[in-house]
Amino acid sequence: MSNRPGAAYLTGALARLRVRRGRGLLAALGIVAAAAMLGAAVTVGYGLATGFERTAERADLPDVIARFDEERPARVDERVRALPNLEAVSLRLEIRDVPIGAGSRYTGDGVAQVVREGRRGYAIVEGRDLRPRGDEVVVESGLAREWSLEVGDRLEVGGLDGGARVVGVAVSPDNVAYPLAAGPRFYLSNEGLLARYGDPSGAGFGEPPVNSLLLWTRDPDRLEETLTQARAVSYGITDLRFITRSGVQVLIDQAAGIVVALLVAFSLVALTSAVLMLAASARADVERRLSTIGVMRAVGFSRRGVAVRHAGEAALVALPAATLGLAIGWLIAAGPSADLLGAINQLGPGLALLPLLGACLAGIVAVVCAATAWPAWRAAGRAPAETLRGAELRGRGSGAGRFSLRLPAPRGAFGLGVRIVAARRVRLTATAAVLAVATAVVLLMLALAALLERLAEDPGTLGKRYELTADASSTSAREVRALPGVESVSPRYAVEATDSFRLGENLQVIAFPGDHTRFEAPPLAEGRRLRSSAEAEIGVGLAQALGLGVGATLATQLPSGEETRFRVVGLVRALEKDGRVAYTRPRRLLAADPSIEPELAVRLEAGADRAVVERGLAAAGALPQVTGGASTSNRSFLALLATLLRAVALVNGLVCLYALVQSLSLTAIERRGTVATLRACGAGRAHVVLVLAGAAAVVVALAAPFGWALERFALAPAVAGLAADYAELPLGAGGGELALVGLGVVLVAGAATALVARRAAREPIVRGLREG
Amino acid sequence: MEATTLRRRGRTAAAIGGGLLALALIGGLVALLGPGDDGPTSAGGSGSTLGATWTDPDGDGALAWGPGEPLRDRTDLAPAARPGRTLATFAQITDAHVRDEESPGRLPVLDRLGPPFVTAFRPQEALSTQVLAATVTALNELDPQAVAVTGDIADSAQANELEQAIAVLEGGRVDPDSGSRGYDGVQATSNPDPFYYRPAVDAPSHRGLLDAAQRPFRSPGLDAPWYPAAGNHDVLTQGVVAPTQRVARAATSSRAIAELDEDLELPRSSRSISPELVDRLLSQGLGRTARTPADSGRRPLAAGESLARLRRASAARAAPGTDIGSGGRLDLAFDIGPRARGLVLDTARRDSGSGGLVRPEQLAWLEAELDRAGGRYVVVFSHHPLRASEGGEAALESLERDPRVVAAVSGHAHRNALTPRGGSGGGLWLVETASLADFPQQARALRLVETEGGGVALETWMVDHTGGTLAPIARELAYLDAQGGRPAGSRGGVGDRNVRLALGRRSAEGASR
Repeated sequence: MSNRPGAAYLTGALARLRVRRGRGLLAALGIVAAAAMLGAAVTVGYGLATGFERTAERADLPDVIARFDEERPARVDERVRALPNLEAVSLRLEIRDVPIGAGSRYTGDGVAQVVREGRRGYAIVEGRDLRPRGDEVVVESGLAREWSLEVGDRLEVGGLDGGARVVGVAVSPDNVAYPLAAGPRFYLSNEGLLARYGDPSGAGFGEPPVNSLLLWTRDPDRLEETLTQARAVSYGITDLRFITRSGVQVLIDQAAGIVVALLVAFSLVALTSAVLMLAASARADVERRLSTIGVMRAVGFSRRGVAVRHAGEAALVALPAATLGLAIGWLIAAGPSADLLGAINQLGPGLALLPLLGACLAGIVAVVCAATAWPAWRAAGRAPAETLRGAELRGRGSGAGRFSLRLPAPRGAFGLGVRIVAARRVRLTATAAVLAVATAVVLLMLALAALLERLAEDPGTLGKRYELTADASSTSAREVRALPGVESVSPRYAVEATDSFRLGENLQVIAFPGDHTRFEAPPLAEGRRLRSSAEAEIGVGLAQALGLGVGATLATQLPSGEETRFRVVGLVRALEKDGRVAYTRPRRLLAADPSIEPELAVRLEAGADRAVVERGLAAAGALPQVTGGASTSNRSFLALLATLLRAVALVNGLVCLYALVQSLSLTAIERRGTVATLRACGAGRAHVVLVLAGAAAVVVALAAPFGWALERFALAPAVAGLAADYAELPLGAGGGELALVGLGVVLVAGAATALVARRAAREPIVRGLREG
Repeated sequence: MEATTLRRRGRTAAAIGGGLLALALIGGLVALLGPGDDGPTSAGGSGSTLGATWTDPDGDGALAWGPGEPLRDRTDLAPAARPGRTLATFAQITDAHVRDEESPGRLPVLDRLGPPFVTAFRPQEALSTQVLAATVTALNELDPQAVAVTGDIADSAQANELEQAIAVLEGGRVDPDSGSRGYDGVQATSNPDPFYYRPAVDAPSHRGLLDAAQRPFRSPGLDAPWYPAAGNHDVLTQGVVAPTQRVARAATSSRAIAELDEDLELPRSSRSISPELVDRLLSQGLGRTARTPADSGRRPLAAGESLARLRRASAARAAPGTDIGSGGRLDLAFDIGPRARGLVLDTARRDSGSGGLVRPEQLAWLEAELDRAGGRYVVVFSHHPLRASEGGEAALESLERDPRVVAAVSGHAHRNALTPRGGSGGGLWLVETASLADFPQQARALRLVETEGGGVALETWMVDHTGGTLAPIARELAYLDAQGGRPAGSRGGVGDRNVRLALGRRSAEGASR
């Protein structure tokens, strides 16, 4: 006996693994697959779920950003400094539609942020920050990425002689990145410009004006008090709009939030599924080794010793397999995850992910060890003779009488397979459960991919029933309605507002004269549809944020400073703007601010050619625009993501294969005597295949409907609820996906049967008769 | 009462700090739970800031009960010396601005135009009587020999404002409401004008505050005799212009200005406002009006009426030796115990203008009263700081020559300031105190003491109002107000609050005039 029992255990365990190399490899493959799913889920989920906060922290994102018409800095500064709870303030001048270029790239939509001394609200990710020089520029990372700009390059900026040298690349999560945002942002030093050019705006204020400010509070929880005072002293400052951190998040969500939320929610479900499968497969592995456990007990191993040995062996397999799997999952997900984060101006988790992956590794090993040790412990608790006979593991007191599986077993070899697998009820249940969970996850992935595509393209996901919008200033609704292919037209008013009682909460007010459900009809969750301009239907997201219900008053503050109130008569499951929308009729809105301009929502006749109508609108000078989905501006990325999800679903199919192969192998081993007897009586390989096919058919027949039900009634609602409980997300798998997955399961069953049959047929008959 | 009471309380302030903290926490909790009926009689302990006071240590806009500010020596006029026997104790309340916030005689809409109209609306304006009552409670704890109420007792010279303020000072039932029962003003939840703080819906939320603010309550009244100084808001509408018939009609009417005409041209300085201009603006119409319950109690008082009412109320509690005066000016003289004399100068203008004015005949009155003071130390009170009043410089020159004059105490500026003024008599301290209307909503306690070596010193410290459930909310709102005392620096520096003002040796036998 070795003086170091640990080393002895290790040596022994390694020796046993070498003996059962094939089985160990099979177990390892299962762990790799589950760990890969876990790794991908954690990489995507953690990266995206924490992206905004992480970047906001790094960029020192302010608690409030206020935008207003150009003002003298001193006038604004004096009022802001009087606010309570103020930690710091930075004033800025934002100039839009600035022509910029670099090399062969050019755009006229540049957004110059002329920054002053003080806190910036952006993180420099490359190079350095601005110095007070007029020939330096910091560019946003989206622009740098899209135009391949590097520190030291020159950026041509309209109005700046000779352009400016790029000295840094910055990220600020207060908006999505170029090109997702229409205009690329770049930062210039106010002091530098003053030194070089004087007043860049020519506004005649005697000093460069400002039109936005960044405000940091000492206690963000008391932001509302600060904003109430800010409103009180905002007299004379026109077109004032506040946007808070949560408002910024809503803004970002408009571009990609639902995608992020879906992926994070999916990751959570995948994580749970992976853990379940790991546990189930580990348990199955012990079942295959019941005879070994019986022998160990018979020769004097303690119960604890048996459990520890099995756990140790499992750990030896799990550790490298899980490491590999996590690495594969990370490799698969890191790239797309980083792309998505970059598109919405957020930073990746970097090394912060390592401890989490480490924890996952520890968790996987722990789950595998526990799932191995526990059944081994239980098996070792029984009489060795019983264990050696290969009885199933079952809970104390659970007898055959508790439930009896009576399957209609056909005759012949196929029927024999059915009966063989049905005789092991607990194992059958476990295998079917693993297969069902894997099937459900695959279905969910496919449904998710389909939804992402619909979010990109289909306005119907937002409840929009119009296909086009047109500029209302250059044409009338009557003219548009007269165009062939147009079914109906309505002015649509949309205005960004804040809740007047909670100034940190932003929302969009949408108004149609008459029945808005003809054009936008998110499903009604509670209450009724609106009937007058004094009433509003609000999104569940808004209702949750403001604590409003049917019968409450929604007070909105418009950018003009006017307050308009509506009685909430209904809650709708709107997906747009995280559900922070309110539908009403325009009369009251226009009374408060007559300057609100509508666009025309154009609904097409069934079968009408959209392109023809578009041409008609263009000819009328109405600047037609195709109505997009929830994340239209992110279309190409969503397509990539959908493809990726389908690819991962395919990989996940391997988990199904693994579960089936393991189950059939176990059956074949247990029934090697039966198989050998069949072969001795003249049965060929085809008969063996039929026996195993019968066994596989039972597992599939049980798992497939259960997997569908699991996806339909558990996973899809769970993911939809986690991602957007304020809206209705169609995440149930459709007919196409079901047919595809059904076919896949049959193929997997066939492949598993073929693999196991091949191995079983290779075994000498005599050996099978002797050991069986 | 013996002056030593005040001193004893000062010395034990630190010792009872822990108890105060607990009481404050309980008080704060009660305030959080919601406004009660009135509450100024439910005292929360001494308001002396020597032991503890309200501060915002985190700068997050939330006041917390924090450490007090011990007396610091200011030696601008004389070296510091160990204090000895107390000669006189007195206190100052100033600029309470008891306001009928529901009155159509006011124009809160002007607030959004910025300076000079920033006091046209205050978030805490519905609680002015409760704040004054809580201040009375706090001062009674200190037991001073006299209290000077240095002007702007009312906000817009309305009869009901003055009556409410006097009821608080005299003690008894106070009814802060006007018009019909309940609140009917710009802070109502139903008002869709977001520029006003509406307690039920805007942050910080205080549901039920306005209704509670209108409920009658009982004031303990000042235990000590109190002496008023005329402030511009006590005799002039909005503290700027003498009330006219048209102003009276507007104040008692059932129409309140809700929105100003966009093309309305308003004067940008209070100096250019005259009764004629106000009448002209009122006759042409200022803008859109809204219905409000009328109340004849809102009648603006003529200066003579206001002063007569104040004189009558003060006389009822005056100590022996008080010359309450007569005629059209509220100049009066009173004893602060046997060793000190107080003189009150009426500096309010009668026609228009918010600035102070010391008339030549008042200088003569002042000289005569100084002569009559005999061997007593003299403290001069006025609403307007003399240094900023027309004719005030001459008065100060007269005072600085007299070694018995230790201080000229005033309000009006809504800011704490202690300024030494040298002179042949040894100099005096110009004491200016912040208002109860704006943050920090504190009164000032003063104590004249002998010092080692035969000199004297004037000790002064601020007093937080105590008790009640509504007054603490008023302080919270006043602190948050971005147009109020916090950003304006009304608390002043530490040298303007709790200090011992050295005055050195001086003869109490007469002026060097």
